[in-house]
Amino acid sequence: MSDQIREQELPGIGRRYTAQADGGEVSVVIHHTGRRDIYLSDPAGRRPPAVATLSDGQARRLGAVLAGAYFQPTLTSHIEAVVGGLLIDWVPLGPDSPGAGRSIADLQVRRQTRMTIVAILRGDDAIVVPEPTEVLAVGDRVVIVGRPEDLDGFVRHVAG
Amino acid sequence: MSSGPVGLLAATGGETGKELVALGAALLIAGLLARAGRRVGLPTIPLFMAAGVLTGPFTPGPVLIKEPADLGLLTTLGLILLLFHLGLEFSLDDLLAGGRRLLLAGAAYLIINLSAGVAIGTGLGWGGRETLVIAGIVGISSSAIVTKLLVELRRLANPETGLLLGIVVVEDVFLAIYLALLQPVLGEAEGVGEAVTSVARGMVFLVLMVALARWGRGPVGRLLGTGDDELLTVCFVGVAILIAGVAANVGVSDAIGAFLAGQVVAGTSVAHRVQRLVLPLRDLFAAMFFFAFGLSVDPGALTSVAGPVVAAVTVTALGCIVAGVIAARIQGLGADAAANIGLTVVARGEFSLILASLAVAAGLDGRLGPFTAGYVLVLAIAGPLAASRSHLLASRLPSRLLPTPALPGKEGL
Repeated sequence: MSDQIREQELPGIGRRYTAQADGGEVSVVIHHTGRRDIYLSDPAGRRPPAVATLSDGQARRLGAVLAGAYFQPTLTSHIEAVVGGLLIDWVPLGPDSPGAGRSIADLQVRRQTRMTIVAILRGDDAIVVPEPTEVLAVGDRVVIVGRPEDLDGFVRHVAG
Repeated sequence: MSSGPVGLLAATGGETGKELVALGAALLIAGLLARAGRRVGLPTIPLFMAAGVLTGPFTPGPVLIKEPADLGLLTTLGLILLLFHLGLEFSLDDLLAGGRRLLLAGAAYLIINLSAGVAIGTGLGWGGRETLVIAGIVGISSSAIVTKLLVELRRLANPETGLLLGIVVVEDVFLAIYLALLQPVLGEAEGVGEAVTSVARGMVFLVLMVALARWGRGPVGRLLGTGDDELLTVCFVGVAILIAGVAANVGVSDAIGAFLAGQVVAGTSVAHRVQRLVLPLRDLFAAMFFFAFGLSVDPGALTSVAGPVVAAVTVTALGCIVAGVIAARIQGLGADAAANIGLTVVARGEFSLILASLAVAAGLDGRLGPFTAGYVLVLAIAGPLAASRSHLLASRLPSRLLPTPALPGKEGL
């Protein structure tokens, strides 16, 4: 499956973005009116596509969900953003996370995982560049920077 | 024209009341009829027109508005806003981005359908100028119906949809040029000299407007540019009507003036907001335009042009199906795509009616009115119904005409 998204102008209607996914081709049509249609085609091409229509607001919220802004599963292979070989990602802490209730210094994050915690998102607060004494808590989303290959180690060490 | 909308405002007491009741009732009937049609998948244009026919002077029952002239400026505004919106949406870049295949498919469509129109016009023998108008009436699809149909039939993700909309854009380009060339023919030019002057004046106006669209986007954007939707609406409608009026005064039609006004605004920074704000206005005044067209139609006259209408509908349907097959072949798509293209572009609507109203206003053969009304009524209703059942045609298209359908997900455009 290719990650490419094809883009096409639909004159008088809007723009269409098409991606190949497991289970069919997904097309998103953004109308000039702000309306969004999501088409999921039948891979065999036998049945008409399934279509859902969203308002501008609904689409933005769903887009944020898809992008992982609300909930990020701790997959070991997921990559959020890699800039010039540098990974920027965030990891949520659950009740079973080994890092919950321990400070950054205590966890020896940098030495043990070669990754750096640059911020902690706690509820509506953002603790930017936390002190090593900062204690991580259940529900925290820990924003980290490092090399992509070190992410798995960090997830094991801190998030579980 | 004495009791146009200006008269409406100026009229005293009881007269104003009566006219307002008539106008309100007419719009309400048109709206409710179109709403009923919507449930069975019919587009609004033929039903607005049907409402005009039913409440008009030629059918039994109450006559709300005696003649289209009573709606005067309101219907002209409908025509102006329809073409302003077309100019606003239209982009040459879309056309060029489609590449050679799109131009080929569009050209094939135009050649087939315009020739069909010329053949019908010649066959009817109503006259040379009438033939030229019939070519346009028969040749140009309704972009409003096509666009709405694709959304409602949920075909926006289909492989042929880009090509199909591209063909409609090619038709729109043609319409703009055609309208510009038609005006001297429709105008009452006396002799060659006057005709040449008229064409020259028109061309100077066109060049000026195209130059304004090309290089004037900054000043025009600043002129219109306001963060306030209310002020923007007032200003852009003013620009559209002003340019349409100037165009009409220099002997180019108000229709082409409105189209060019749309093109000028399309290049400015406020284009996207205008695209959104113009829709309700266009819908309202276009409805009045279609309604007024219906008012002018005598069902008795409809029966007298039934033969020509049936001939034109048949030729158009065949022409569009052939054009659909050619387009699908050019794009390497199969029978489903060919049937979808052919049966979608067969819809006729606003442009045919605009051309007919321009022609009748210019004093051409009066039969053009009922002919176009009947032709549009049939194709605007039968077209969408056929498009929703296009698979029936797809399975009947000879398989040797078309290659095997492209794999899902594979598309060139």
